[in-house]
Amino acid sequence: MSGGTPVIVLNQNTKREQGRKVQLTNIQSAKTVADVIRTCLGPQAMLKMLMDPMGGIVMTNDGNAILREITVQHPAAKSMIEIARTQDEEVGDGTTSVIILAGEILAVSTAFLEQSIHPTIIITAYRQALEDMLEMASSRYSVDVDTNDTDKMHELIRTCLGTRVHTQWNQVACRIALDAVRTVHKERGSDGQAQEIDIKRYARIEKIPGGSIEDSCVLDGIMINKDVVHPQMRRRIANPRIVLLDCDLEYKKGESQTNVEIRQEEDFTRLLQLEEEYIKTVCQAVLAVKPDLVITEKGVSDLAQHYLVKAGVSVLRRLRRTDQWRVARAIGATIVNRPDELKEEDIGTGCGLFEVRKIGDEYYSYLVQCRNPKACTIVLRGPSKDILNEMDRSLNDALNVARNIVLKPKLCPGGGAFEMAIAHAVSEKGKALTTVHQGPYRALAAALEVIPRTLIQNCGANVIRTLTALRAKHAGTEPEDWMWGVDGETGKLRHMKADGIWEPLSVKNQVLKTATETAILLLRIDDIVSGTKKGGVEGAAAAAKAAANEAAQPAAGGDE
Amino acid sequence: SAMAGNANTSNLLMVSGERLTGESVRHQNVVAAASIANIVKTSLGPVGLDKMLVDDVGDVTITNDGATILKLLEVEHPAAKILVELAQLQDEEVGDGTTSVVLVAAELLKNAEELMSLKIHPTTIISGYRLACREAVKFINERLVISVDDLARDNIVNAAKTSMSSKIIGCDAELFAAMAVDAAMAVRVADGKGGHRYPIKAVNVLKAHGGSTRDSVLINGYALNCTVGSVQMPKRITNAKIACLDFSLQKSKMKLGIQLVIETPEQLELMRARESDLTKERVQKIMASGANVILTTGSIDDLCMKYFVEAGAMAVRRCKKIDLKRIAKATGGQFVVSMTNLEGEESFDASLLGQAECVAQERISDDELIVIRGPKSRSAASIVLRGANDFYCDEMERSVHDALCVVKRVLEGRQLVPGGGAVEVALNIYLENYATSLASREQMAIAEFARALLCVPKQLAVNAAQDSTELLAQLRARHNASQVKKDCAAYKWFGLDLQEGKVRDNKEAGVLEPAVSKIKSLKFATEAAITILRIDDQIKLTPEAPPSHGGH
Repeated sequence: MSGGTPVIVLNQNTKREQGRKVQLTNIQSAKTVADVIRTCLGPQAMLKMLMDPMGGIVMTNDGNAILREITVQHPAAKSMIEIARTQDEEVGDGTTSVIILAGEILAVSTAFLEQSIHPTIIITAYRQALEDMLEMASSRYSVDVDTNDTDKMHELIRTCLGTRVHTQWNQVACRIALDAVRTVHKERGSDGQAQEIDIKRYARIEKIPGGSIEDSCVLDGIMINKDVVHPQMRRRIANPRIVLLDCDLEYKKGESQTNVEIRQEEDFTRLLQLEEEYIKTVCQAVLAVKPDLVITEKGVSDLAQHYLVKAGVSVLRRLRRTDQWRVARAIGATIVNRPDELKEEDIGTGCGLFEVRKIGDEYYSYLVQCRNPKACTIVLRGPSKDILNEMDRSLNDALNVARNIVLKPKLCPGGGAFEMAIAHAVSEKGKALTTVHQGPYRALAAALEVIPRTLIQNCGANVIRTLTALRAKHAGTEPEDWMWGVDGETGKLRHMKADGIWEPLSVKNQVLKTATETAILLLRIDDIVSGTKKGGVEGAAAAAKAAANEAAQPAAGGDE
Repeated sequence: SAMAGNANTSNLLMVSGERLTGESVRHQNVVAAASIANIVKTSLGPVGLDKMLVDDVGDVTITNDGATILKLLEVEHPAAKILVELAQLQDEEVGDGTTSVVLVAAELLKNAEELMSLKIHPTTIISGYRLACREAVKFINERLVISVDDLARDNIVNAAKTSMSSKIIGCDAELFAAMAVDAAMAVRVADGKGGHRYPIKAVNVLKAHGGSTRDSVLINGYALNCTVGSVQMPKRITNAKIACLDFSLQKSKMKLGIQLVIETPEQLELMRARESDLTKERVQKIMASGANVILTTGSIDDLCMKYFVEAGAMAVRRCKKIDLKRIAKATGGQFVVSMTNLEGEESFDASLLGQAECVAQERISDDELIVIRGPKSRSAASIVLRGANDFYCDEMERSVHDALCVVKRVLEGRQLVPGGGAVEVALNIYLENYATSLASREQMAIAEFARALLCVPKQLAVNAAQDSTELLAQLRARHNASQVKKDCAAYKWFGLDLQEGKVRDNKEAGVLEPAVSKIKSLKFATEAAITILRIDDQIKLTPEAPPSHGGH
């Protein structure tokens, strides 16, 4: 036996890549991801049709929605897909831009890696450039906006929606988005309560196929896809007194296990009687506060229905917990668990009209004309389910735009003007740098041009000619020259202020931050080891991920 | 195994397997150790880069932390495993310097092999290494430490910055170093002997993707990754009185095996009513004590939510036990396991409540956090990290953890040493001189120990793409001068400047490390190397065949 035998240190399934090759493949895979959704930017964006393993179809041009559906192999590509999610959760818009920009930043880094500039130097330069860009963005290249100006706000939201499906839908979506956001908006309270716009929880989108798109609206209250439980109950009540319950109106056994042994026949009858008596007492407790409408999360037995019908009370049952919250907030009621503890102040009186309407084949309960609804339902109407789904997605974007503007009323010009302006300014500033950092610093600025460039590409105009003209405009000395951008439909240059094309600054800022940091993360890697142990450092995080994977597996397995 | 033994008759032992002895096993061990060091060495130093680790299911970890890298690798060789454990040990004991400890241990082994090829017995090498290690520690303590007492907060911040310089947050080290120091100061407790302890585990680090690195914040209070039980509860309470409970507020249920025999059907009804009343009474007792924030590890029934909503209190369910224990400590309350008192009655005393200036639910990205600000009895700190995606946040968390560990070591040990290879080079010069003064067989081993230490500054220079030979020569000349010439004593602070590719005074430049972590890593590396050196025989059993192959 000599030293010639190979020493096996790592598991033989482990694969390892190192050095320059890793950096270049990382960049390549990031670029590939960016290329997938490159055509989804701007008003001339095309939709992608995605088939999931179950054979379902998703049609969208929303960056995050597309990336969520596709499966990628390369770890760096996974990292790219994650950032679309980050962007979506943080500001809910700009998911396409962030991917394209991150891809471009990595692409421009290739040149420096090939010149053997150390990644840490590139990274330091990028981070410095990012700081400068953010500073410039808020100090020089953005304008304040008055959120109370409804017309202006509509226009703003419309430009952000420029890329989504129907133009006729656009008008409606802007109106809806602003109304919904204003409805759920809670001002900064005197007790230090933070300003709050919780769209996810308090503005629900309900889709009803049929009707025309213009019929979509924001209700001044809530709509629930339910009918009253008994045909004889009233289906229209003006100024109803509403009781919200989250308990059963039927007999339920206790928590402890019970066995009943009966010796006499009467005892059995008595047991049954007791159940009925219980329902009766519960119903009496409810009726004692004289409600017109009872809404419960759980079930209502036939007997309870009987008592309530007799008293002229309408009942809705088996509501979702989240619906119940919205109702409670809209009509000012407290959800009660024990009917015998109902009090006058628990009753909701904020609703002006309860009405059950039949649309198509289904019944819908409307709780509308609320006096101060801080929650609402958005009703979408449209010809088919697929179109409704796409309307839903784009409305979500509109809602996010509206929320972002109301929360941070600062805007920057759209159509690539903002990116161009920042690129120009940063590039100029970079000229003053005397260290090696100058190259990457200015390259980051150049990478920003990818946004106007893609816009021009997507509408089929001459990229080089238009971009050069745009650069020339930005080099001008007039105070508002920085607002020149590209008209995403015609490919001509346009002055964004004159045409009122704006985007929220918070979205743009987040795009810059996320894209740059992702590039930094990927540039720092010089070694990929695959086939490592499962689990490890963050036991909890890994376990959660494993659980998510397991949950995903049966869904995928169902296909076979 | 009798069968297996028969099948392998050539083996004299009655076990089946492979046996390696003498030189070949030593050589294998050294090769294995070197390859482990090879894996982590490019991540050392301020210009080191990261590794991307992909596991079987495709989950990605991006990290620069030596211990994390090695933990995730599937290491098979037994000697290599010792080095992996060494990194883990360093991580647990010190929290930082996991890469360099592996490098030193591997280098010690490599040099030992060279000595062994010169027919020097391993035991001589071992005793030489032991002696060298002891001398080195003595030298650090006597000559190289900078006491924190006469140093301002700056130096503590600098030590934290040094630890972070190699990490992804290196560019923002300034921000995070200050954050780590503030956080460690906030959780300071007296140890009863006039000094202080810094239980940095009490600093709750939360991650939320979104924003940018610089949007990370230090919250002056305790942040919980939970939300209030019902949306109808208030989102903010000032002058909070906090009850920390370790039981569920649910409809009570009888334990298994308990039987109640009742006579009439009416009594059944009473039992049902009692079930819900029991919990109601509990809630009322808690509310009567004045509590307006209720945190529990268990769950809370909808039935109870209403009482809290009506009283305008916040109730948070499914908190982590460890969080509640810390909150109870920080707010001066008690972590209540049961409401039953000694008399068997249920009661809830107001003295069990903790107090804080304000408790609020705050929104970060798509998530919501409960933040307890201004706790009464001692300050608390939480760090919320923001980053582009989960991988980024995870790596930030590891880096911040390392920095916190460093701050803790500095504050508790109150001694620093210069970084950037200064200590290693100083020890190299000292030990070489010491070796020549020693007229015993350990001389060569000590000289090799001294040479092995140079691997750290060498690797630092290599990672930075600088001329390591040139830089090391300069550095050694400076340190030699500092040890022989009186007027050159200040040269002992000299270390590498990796951005410029020069040598400089690292004490002045603020590149500092806690002394205790340097000393410990030296000791750990020596011990690990010795453990492996003592091996001269390796028997690897082939796994026993499954019984189904038994063959009848």
